[in-house]
Amino acid sequence: MVSSDDAAQGAEHPVTILTARGVWRGIKRLLPISVFVIPFGSAFGVAAVDAGMTPIQAFAMSALAFSGAAQFASLDFLVQPVAFWSLGLVVMALNARHVIMGAAISPWVNPLSPAKRVLALAWLSDPNFADSQPTFKAGERDVGVLLGGGLVLWGAWILGTVIGVAGGTLLGQLESYGTDVLMACFFAAVVAGQLGKDRRLALSVVVASFLAIVTLNWLPVGWNVILGAIAGGLLAVWRGVE
Amino acid sequence: MDAWYLILSVAGVTFGSRIAGALLMQRIAVSHSVERFLDGLSVSVIAALVASLVAQGDLRTATAVALASLVMLASKSAIWAMLAGMGVAAAWSAWF
Repeated sequence: MVSSDDAAQGAEHPVTILTARGVWRGIKRLLPISVFVIPFGSAFGVAAVDAGMTPIQAFAMSALAFSGAAQFASLDFLVQPVAFWSLGLVVMALNARHVIMGAAISPWVNPLSPAKRVLALAWLSDPNFADSQPTFKAGERDVGVLLGGGLVLWGAWILGTVIGVAGGTLLGQLESYGTDVLMACFFAAVVAGQLGKDRRLALSVVVASFLAIVTLNWLPVGWNVILGAIAGGLLAVWRGVE
Repeated sequence: MDAWYLILSVAGVTFGSRIAGALLMQRIAVSHSVERFLDGLSVSVIAALVASLVAQGDLRTATAVALASLVMLASKSAIWAMLAGMGVAAAWSAWF
């Protein structure tokens, strides 16, 4: 999978590669986190069957869409006739942060060949972005870590869905062990880690969090995060220029 | 049959959102300011996500997240941070 045709990029961009070795590193990095995706996947499997999907459809949706928020939200549209335009808008709003994350990671993804770019981004999600971006920033040149992290999360999401449609509701009991806060704690740790390296980003973090909270109830679902992210980005430019 | 169209629509729109950001950035030269913007953007999107989760959760979630952040700052280990957050959440569930 190693290739030299990835070397065609502008002087501003870092030289990046996408190799099986990098994918394997990404899989190992996110394997521990992925285990905790299984209960979420099983919750979707249960909800999908309750909403009237067949087990095969629930499985196919997790395999093809791989987006918790969008998949749960779309179940509300599973009535005749399906309101496809509204559905599209809701899914776009819920996944608009992918656009933000894709842009943020583009300096490392865009030097790759078009096919590898699509491959690297196809499994982009919150945890593998949160893990890979600081790693790239620290000097990692193999975009495979992003893809590998996505693949292992995807596998866990599908496995969880299968367990859910098979009737494995007992996984819901895991909440009492604190696993439900794991993702929030992981994301908080990533933010704290970034702040430890670059204190100038503190203002961005505070303002982004504040905006996301105060606009939570009056912006469409998901857009409070986008607003906070863009404000944080602009503040970083302002602080960086000082 | 409609369920299959629904599945393909969700998958298609989600895939589009995943590749759109990098495609958009192909048209923009990465200057120092753009780089700073992307740095701020990447930490802020995750911070905003955490803030939303905390705002929609309860005091238990907030305590776990606060402890995880402090442990990360002190130990620089995401594993210890997550274990501390999960530990306090589990203890909270056991007590209340």
